[in-house]
Amino acid sequence: MKCEEARELITALVDQELLDPERPLLEMHLKECARCRFALEEERRLKTEIRAAADHLRAPAQLRNRILTDPRLFREKSQSTRGWRDYIWPRSFTLRPALIVTLLLVFSLSSLYLFNVNRTKQPIAVAALETYGLFLSNELPVSRANGAAKIKEQLIRAVGGSFEPMGYDFSAMNLEPVAGAIREIQGRKILVAIYQGQGGTLFCYTFVGSEADAPQAAARFFDADKKINFYAFSRGGMNAVLHREGDVICILASEMPMEELLALARSKARPS
Amino acid sequence: VAGKRQTKVEEKEKFSREAVAYLDHLYRVARYLTEEPDEAQDLVQEAYVRALGSYKQFTPGSNMKAWLTRILYNFFFDHYRQKKRWISVDDSSTAEKYVSDYWEKVAGENPGPEGYVLASELTTKITDALRKIPEEFRLPVVMIDMGDFSYAETAEILSCPIGTIRSRLSRGRRLVHSHLKAYVGIEKGREKK
Repeated sequence: MKCEEARELITALVDQELLDPERPLLEMHLKECARCRFALEEERRLKTEIRAAADHLRAPAQLRNRILTDPRLFREKSQSTRGWRDYIWPRSFTLRPALIVTLLLVFSLSSLYLFNVNRTKQPIAVAALETYGLFLSNELPVSRANGAAKIKEQLIRAVGGSFEPMGYDFSAMNLEPVAGAIREIQGRKILVAIYQGQGGTLFCYTFVGSEADAPQAAARFFDADKKINFYAFSRGGMNAVLHREGDVICILASEMPMEELLALARSKARPS
Repeated sequence: VAGKRQTKVEEKEKFSREAVAYLDHLYRVARYLTEEPDEAQDLVQEAYVRALGSYKQFTPGSNMKAWLTRILYNFFFDHYRQKKRWISVDDSSTAEKYVSDYWEKVAGENPGPEGYVLASELTTKITDALRKIPEEFRLPVVMIDMGDFSYAETAEILSCPIGTIRSRLSRGRRLVHSHLKAYVGIEKGREKK
């Protein structure tokens, strides 16, 4: 075999797409030809580098936002029941006030019921976020310490070392850990690491749980590269992104735009 | 009837959410198809809309990434470029002047210390090099090296025989390498990372 003929076969070998009868012919040639062996190694390195270059090119947050808010792809909340109107709205004008009164009555009663009954049953992820508001109004008892290591140490001690806070480094976002807090919600301990700085305020919640702890209404995104599900949800003007690492759930919560928070969570999350 | 309509809406939304997982990959492909970043964003968004419009044609459990990529690629050529899909080029002419240079030099060249480069710089160089090479050689590299597609999947997406994919990929990689002449010794560059 001539080196010229080996060119394409080397490419296929690099991609593990070279089969018989070409493979043994190339292998025989490679044993004899140092130049082609070098070319094989060089092509392998190039492929690795091109793959690495691909990882640096990600969809901009602006595009992600455009896709997620495109009503052709995702329903807007106001449109979610649009199709029902044709079927439930009475054609008769005399029946319409009766329907409105009935609906108002049903809505008021069910709201009262849900407010009283489900208040204690809201998902732990949503309940945890209430600490954010408490912190901003200085109502949350926190432990302030100098440095991320001390805060982490205090939080680990608070749960007897059974699990650890994520300990993410957000210094690139101008956010430094300033305090830690422990909350017990629905019998489960939640570690709260609080980051503040020029980048605003960010809470990182950690607790033992599963993806079932994500609110049902949360939007799920699957990161195909890391093979991790991310659940995005909002509460009281605050955005939150939940994901799982092993048997620990992490929630990042902040007032930053959802697409930025999601990108941040994706960049920090570690595959289990 | 209302229940059925609701189920269909939910089904479509579920499909959209699964499809969004491939956003980074589709944007990557679009960036190497189009000239401008804005154009790439428009292309990806419209490809998603088109995919959702024909989501029933997708077989659950099959390769959604390849299916979406094919839609994006077809959409690009249908709407963004009024020309033949896979430009017929004389494989022995366009690339040869770059390739022969690489093939002759690659074996004995000693890059010297100035030839080594930090990984981040190399990434930029690779991206630039990919943009410079002809599209017919660039796309197999983008699909196989960046998109992790097999030769068969790439052939299906680009509507092209597998043999052509293999030869153009081979030439494409050599063209990229020829643009990185000053940066040969890739492995040593990685070690400095």
